[in-house]
Amino acid sequence: MRLLGKLGLAAAACLLWANSASADTTVKWLHIEANPAQVKIWEEVARAYEAGHPGVKVEMQFLENEAYKAKLPTILQSKDRPNIIYSWAGGVLKAQIEAGVLDDITESVKGYSDSLTPAALAAFTSNGKIYGLPTALSQVGFLCNKELMAKAKVDPSAIKTWDDLLAAVKTLKAAGVTPIVVGGADKWPLHFYWTHLAVRVGGKPAFDAALKGENGGFAGETFQKSGELFKQLVDLQPFQNGFLGFKNPQAVGYFGDGKAAMTLAISTVYHLQRALAADKVGLSEDKICWFDFPVVAGGKGAPTDTLGGITGWLVTKGSPREAVDFLKYFVSKDVQTRLAAGNFIIPVVQGADAGLNNSFMKLIAANLAKSNYHQNFYDQSLGPSVGRVVNDVTAEIAGGSMSPQDAAKAIEAAWKQGN
Amino acid sequence: MSNAETTRAPFDPAVLFKALFLGLIAIFVLVPLLATLLGGFKSLGELRVNPFGWPKHWEWQNYADILFSARYWQLLRNSLIISTLAVTLTLITASMAAFTFAHIKFYGSSALLSYLTLGLLFPAATAVLPLFIKVRDLGLLDTYFGVALPQVAFSLAMSVLLLRRFFKDIPYELLEAALVDGCSYIKFFRYVTLPLSRPILATVGTITFVNSWNAYLLPLVMLNTDALYPWPLGIMVYQGEYSSEWHLILAFITLTILPTIILFLLAQKHIVAGLTAGAVKG
Amino acid sequence: MARHTASSPAMGTTQTSFASLAVRGPSWDGRFTVLILFLPPALLLFTLFVVLPIGEAAWYSAFNWNGFGKPTNWIGFDNYRFVLETRAFWLALRNNGLIIAVSLAIQLPLALTLALMLAEKFRGAVALRMLFFMPYILAEIATGLIFSFVYDGDYGLVASIWRSFGAEPPHLLASTDTSMMAVLIVIVWKYFGFHMMLFIAALQSLDKSLIEAARIDGATRAQTLRHVVIPLLYPTIRLSVFFAIIGSLQLFDLVMPLTRGGPADSSNTMVSFLYNNGISRMRVGYGSAIGVILFVICVTFAFTYKRWFMRDE
Repeated sequence: MRLLGKLGLAAAACLLWANSASADTTVKWLHIEANPAQVKIWEEVARAYEAGHPGVKVEMQFLENEAYKAKLPTILQSKDRPNIIYSWAGGVLKAQIEAGVLDDITESVKGYSDSLTPAALAAFTSNGKIYGLPTALSQVGFLCNKELMAKAKVDPSAIKTWDDLLAAVKTLKAAGVTPIVVGGADKWPLHFYWTHLAVRVGGKPAFDAALKGENGGFAGETFQKSGELFKQLVDLQPFQNGFLGFKNPQAVGYFGDGKAAMTLAISTVYHLQRALAADKVGLSEDKICWFDFPVVAGGKGAPTDTLGGITGWLVTKGSPREAVDFLKYFVSKDVQTRLAAGNFIIPVVQGADAGLNNSFMKLIAANLAKSNYHQNFYDQSLGPSVGRVVNDVTAEIAGGSMSPQDAAKAIEAAWKQGN
Repeated sequence: MSNAETTRAPFDPAVLFKALFLGLIAIFVLVPLLATLLGGFKSLGELRVNPFGWPKHWEWQNYADILFSARYWQLLRNSLIISTLAVTLTLITASMAAFTFAHIKFYGSSALLSYLTLGLLFPAATAVLPLFIKVRDLGLLDTYFGVALPQVAFSLAMSVLLLRRFFKDIPYELLEAALVDGCSYIKFFRYVTLPLSRPILATVGTITFVNSWNAYLLPLVMLNTDALYPWPLGIMVYQGEYSSEWHLILAFITLTILPTIILFLLAQKHIVAGLTAGAVKG
Repeated sequence: MARHTASSPAMGTTQTSFASLAVRGPSWDGRFTVLILFLPPALLLFTLFVVLPIGEAAWYSAFNWNGFGKPTNWIGFDNYRFVLETRAFWLALRNNGLIIAVSLAIQLPLALTLALMLAEKFRGAVALRMLFFMPYILAEIATGLIFSFVYDGDYGLVASIWRSFGAEPPHLLASTDTSMMAVLIVIVWKYFGFHMMLFIAALQSLDKSLIEAARIDGATRAQTLRHVVIPLLYPTIRLSVFFAIIGSLQLFDLVMPLTRGGPADSSNTMVSFLYNNGISRMRVGYGSAIGVILFVICVTFAFTYKRWFMRDE
C-alpha cells in the first residue's frame, strides 16, 4: 500500500512537472559557435523571439567543437537532450535519422522551405523528408597573411597549382616564415588537405565511385594519389612547431597572431581568427588574403569544385513545436541578412546574400555559386565512424607514421566495416 | 633506529648525498605545483617570459574573477553532491553486507563474498559502454545518481572486504551476550558495530570520497548538461574554452585542487593511512 | 513479503540459504531478517552495475551497433578482428607495457630508496613524506592539465628552460616520438609517492630485532639492506608491482588532458583507446570488444599474479 501511495505521489509529481513545463516551454539550443560577436547576435535573436512569444524560453548551450562531436552520440541518447542541435549534414545526419533521434519537420516547414537555397535544403532532406534547416554555407581554402607573404616575396594570387604551393612553402621557409599553421590535434583540419586533394584529383566521379565500391573504393588510385601529394607537402615540414599538439582554436589564434603565413581553413575563420587571437584583435581585413585550393596537374576535378560545409540545425525527437517555430524564425531572411551583413555566414535564405557587404564574403558566395560539385567535409559525409577514420589516417600521414597507401586502405576497410 | 646512525660524523658524504637527492626530488615535485599557483597570478605576457619566478605584478583579478563566478561554485557543489551520495550509499550498503558476511553463517556465504571480490579485478572502464546503455535504460542518464550508483557499485568490493575484516575483529562474545539479552542483530549492528567501527568507516569513506571527487570517465560518459558537471569535467571544458590563456587556466586549476590540498593538510595522517591501508588490505 | 522479493533475480541465493538456516539454529529468524535486508542492496548494485555490464559487453561485442534501439546486426567475432587489426590497439598495448616497465625500472627503485631514507626519523622527514605523497591525492585530470602547461611549447616550463639555452623549444606532447615519454614522466611524478608510502608503512612494521641482530653480527648497512631488509619487503614489493600493473591497465584520466592519446595514437593507453575509438564514436560493439579484451587481460593477470607471486598472502 505504502509503495502504491508513493508511486501515486511520484505520478502526481510527474504530472505537475509536465504541466509546468508546457505552461512555460523551454527550447534548448546547443551550439558550437566560438565567435562571441556572432553568438551575441544569436542571443539577441533569441531574446527577440521570446519577446514575441510569451511563455517560450530559448536556452542556449555551448560546447566546444571537438567536445561536441565526441559527446553528441551520448547526448542524443539522453532523455534530457537539447531540442536544437548543430549539424554538418552528410552521413552523420543519415546515421542520426536511421537511429530515429530526429524529428521529421517536413510538415511544419511547408511553404516556408521554398525560401531556402534548394541545394542547401537538399542536404537536410532524406527520402523526401526534411530533418533540419540549413543555415550557412562555407568554403575551404587558404587564408594568408599579406605581410608575411610579402616578406618572403610570395604572391598568393600566383599559387594556382599544387606545385606552386610546394614552391611557396619552400620560399617561405627559406625566408624564416612559418608557412602553414594547422590544428593537428583535432585531426580534421588536416583531413582538409587529403580531402581537397581528392576533390582535385578525382572530382565528383571518383567520390561517387568510391561510395559504390568501384575502382578499389577509397583504397583506389585517386585516394592513394591524394595521400601521396599530401605527403609531398608534409615532407617539406610546412607546419608550425608542434602542430600535432595544436587544437583548432589554438591554431586559428596562431594565425590571428600573425605567426604563420597561411592556413587551410573554412571561410568563417576569416572572422573567427580575431576572436581567438591573443590580443582579441587579430588580423584586420586588409591584412588577409585568400586563394582557392590549388589544382593538381592531370586532375579530373574542375578548378571550380569546392570543399566546404553546409551547416544547419536539427530538431531532436520529442521536441516541443516551438523548437521548429524558433528555427524558422532564426533561419529567416531578416536574421540571415543581418548575419550576412556581419559577414558571419554565406546565407542560405534566398535574397539574404544582398546583406553581404564585404568583398571577401562576396567572393566566397560567388565561388559557391559557380561550383558544380560542392563536396561536404568527408568526416561528416562518410558517417560518424568512417569519417573519424579519415581524420585519424590523415593525422597519421602528417605525423609520418602511416604511408599514403596504408591510409587509403584503412579508410576503405572502415568503409567496408560499415559504420 | 640504531646508535650508529644518531652519532654520525658531521661531514658524512652519504648524508650530503641523501640531502641532495631528497632536495632534488622535492624540487621535482614542488616546481610544477608552485608554477601553477604562481602562474595564476601572472598576466599571459609575463607567463611567457617568466614562467618560473615570482610574479612581478600580482594579478589578483585572475583568481578573483573565478572565485566570484557562479561557475566555480557550481562545479564544486556538483562534485560535493556526487561524492557525498557515493560515500553515503557505499557506507550504508557495504557495512550492511560486511556485517552479514562477518557475523552470519549461511550456505553460499563464501561464494557470495568471492563474487563481490570480482569487482577488484577489473576497472570500471572495461564495461563502460554497456554501463552507459544500462544507465540510459534506467533513465538515469544526466543525473547525479547515474554517476554515483556505478561508483558505489565499483567501490563495494574493496569496501566490503575492509569492513568485514574489521567487523570480524569485534569480539564474538559481545554479539552473543547481546543476542542473549534480546538485542536483535540489527540493533547490535546499529548500536555496537557501527560506533565501534568509526576508524574503518572513515577509511572506507575517505577512499570512496577521493575516488569519486577525482573521477572523470564516468561523469564524462553519463553527464551531458554542464549544469551537472563535477569539477574534473568542468575544468576540461574551461580549458577547451580558454585554450591558450594559460594564466586563467592555471588559476582555475589551483582553485579546483585547493579543496583537496586543504583537506589533505588538515587530515593528512588519516588520509595517508586510509589510502595505503585500503590498498594493502584490499 | 517473501513472494515479493523472490521476483528479483539476486534473491535466488538467499532463498536456498533460508532452507539451510532453518535447520541450523534457533535464532535463524533474526539472521534471516538480516540476510534479506542487509545483503540485497549491495548485491543488487554490484550485479546491476558491475557484473551485468561485463556480460553485456561480451554480448554486444558480437554486433555492429551504434547504441540506438536494439542490437540487430550480428557480426560474430568480427569486432575482435577489427580491434586486432587496428594499429592503435597494438600501440596502446605497447604503451601499457611501457608504463609497467617504467614503474618497475624507475618508479619502484625510486620509491624504495626514498622510503628507506624517510622511514628514519629526522627533522623534516614527515614533511617530505607528505610532500611526496601529495601528487597522489591530486586528481589525475588536474595533474594532466598542470603538466600540459609544464610541457607547453610556448608558455611552458620546459620551453622556458630550452629558450634560456637559446634553443628552439620542443613540443614534447605534440611529437609521436616524445609524447609517451612525457606521459611516463608524469606517471612517475604522480605515483611514486604512493608506492613510497606503501614501503614506509611496511618498513615501520618490520621486526626491528632482525635488523639489530644483523648489525650486531657485523653486517654493514648495505649488507643488512641487501640481505635482511629487502627480503622482508618482498611482499610489499609484490604488492607495489601489482598496483603498478593494475594502475597501468586503467590509466585514462591522466592521458586525456595531456595528449588525448595522440598524436597519431602514440600515447593511447588501453582505456583511452577504448574511449577514443569506442565511446566517442558510439561504436558499442567495437568498444565492447575492446572492453572484453581488457577484461580478459586484467583477470588473467590478476589470477596468475596472485597464484605465482602472492601465494603466501
